[in-house]
Amino acid sequence: MQGVVEVQPSFQDRLQNLEIGRLCRSSFQGNYTFTVGYHELSGSRMSLKKPLLVLKKKRDGDPSKLDEPTSSRVELEVIGIIRHRILFKTRPKALISSKLTFI
Amino acid sequence: MAEAVLNLEQQNSSISITYDTNFGPHDDIILLEIDDKLLPHVLNNRVTIRGNVEEDAVLCTPSTTYALKFVGTTNSVFLIPPFGDVEASVASVIKVAPGVMELVEVAPKLEKLKMLLKENQYNGNEDFMEMGESCEIGLYRWDDLVERVQASDVELREGLRAFSAVEINGYWRVVEESFMGMVLNMLLHNSVLSGWSLDGLVENEVVGVLESDGFLREIARLCLEMYGDKVEDEVGGGYVWKLNEKRVCVHFARSVLNEGKMKMESFMEKWMQKIPSGMSVSFEMLEGEVLLEKLGIETWIRSFSVSSLPLTPAERFAALFRERQKWESMDLEPYIRDLRVPGLSAEGLLLKYTRRTQPTADAEPIFSAR
Repeated sequence: MQGVVEVQPSFQDRLQNLEIGRLCRSSFQGNYTFTVGYHELSGSRMSLKKPLLVLKKKRDGDPSKLDEPTSSRVELEVIGIIRHRILFKTRPKALISSKLTFI
Repeated sequence: MAEAVLNLEQQNSSISITYDTNFGPHDDIILLEIDDKLLPHVLNNRVTIRGNVEEDAVLCTPSTTYALKFVGTTNSVFLIPPFGDVEASVASVIKVAPGVMELVEVAPKLEKLKMLLKENQYNGNEDFMEMGESCEIGLYRWDDLVERVQASDVELREGLRAFSAVEINGYWRVVEESFMGMVLNMLLHNSVLSGWSLDGLVENEVVGVLESDGFLREIARLCLEMYGDKVEDEVGGGYVWKLNEKRVCVHFARSVLNEGKMKMESFMEKWMQKIPSGMSVSFEMLEGEVLLEKLGIETWIRSFSVSSLPLTPAERFAALFRERQKWESMDLEPYIRDLRVPGLSAEGLLLKYTRRTQPTADAEPIFSAR
């Protein structure tokens, strides 16, 4: 999605396990709706033209080889392949409802 | 969890997206965009990242080299890992990716190979029995080259072949030109003495004789490779070589011009004297090797070899325009013929690095620096 999800300042240091929003599969042609706060984003699932490899960088720091040019050998481990994404590219719709409460 | 997201089948069912317990920058996780055709290489461990700490990393398949470019985005890309409960009602984001790495095919970086090979050129004055640690400076084995040169294995081998390198005692060496000239002269003398035909040199015989003259077998074979072409031969299981007239004559032209620039007539006279009998010269042989200039009414000639010029396009054109501000197409072509840039044709190269002018419609186009 375009832009940044901003967390309320009181939660900045305690992001973990905090809910970002709700993702809903709507009845309209398999579209997805992502609701963050009072914004509703509309998007769809698509296959990536080129898959994305998820790589984890591992540093092989062998102290006995520090003088060699390749002593800090880096290894990239393939930990996953991403072939699909759900893309939200439209402008968010602001939801105004008396039922919404703010924390 | 990714499955849980992808499996949101029922209409109006929803799932909570949260920050994972382990949410964080995870700078060690990188996204790399990859073409499907490269996937088999990656998954079968045939891909390496090459380069020193101070260089930009390249990714190499067995035969191709790619630059790694980071493309940032202002979009928020939420990464949801695959593990977890398929039925779960919660999917958590482990990282927000700032961008992805892309692969751009590039020419192998062989300038470094050339530089490494030049550090300790072979000139015959080596006694391998006495080689100790100190003699190994500037000497590189295949694995040492793979570690230092940003090129795929196939491209590295091709580079070694193009630089006329030879493996001696496990080390890849280029041979000093003057020494190689001496070996060639020995070969030519022996062919006269033994009555060998320059069109049908028997490898085993040639190598044997040169070895008894004190040259390494590898050097003898290199001489045949540099100055000859292999001819298919079934007799006795050995190879037969035919000397390549152009390469031999160019070698002698270069040795004549070692003395510096000279008048054309003088050059032609000296050149004719040096070439083996039975061979004839043509001026076209010297394209990409010499430059002519008119001083008064006389034409002077001097050495200017494409093999001494930089390998990368920007540096190559800079060197060419330093030498001469304006070039005619015919003169320029031999000096840029060997340039290879993925995705760029010869015309594209000229467009990118030169300015083209044409005085009149039927005049030859002139190229100068941008």
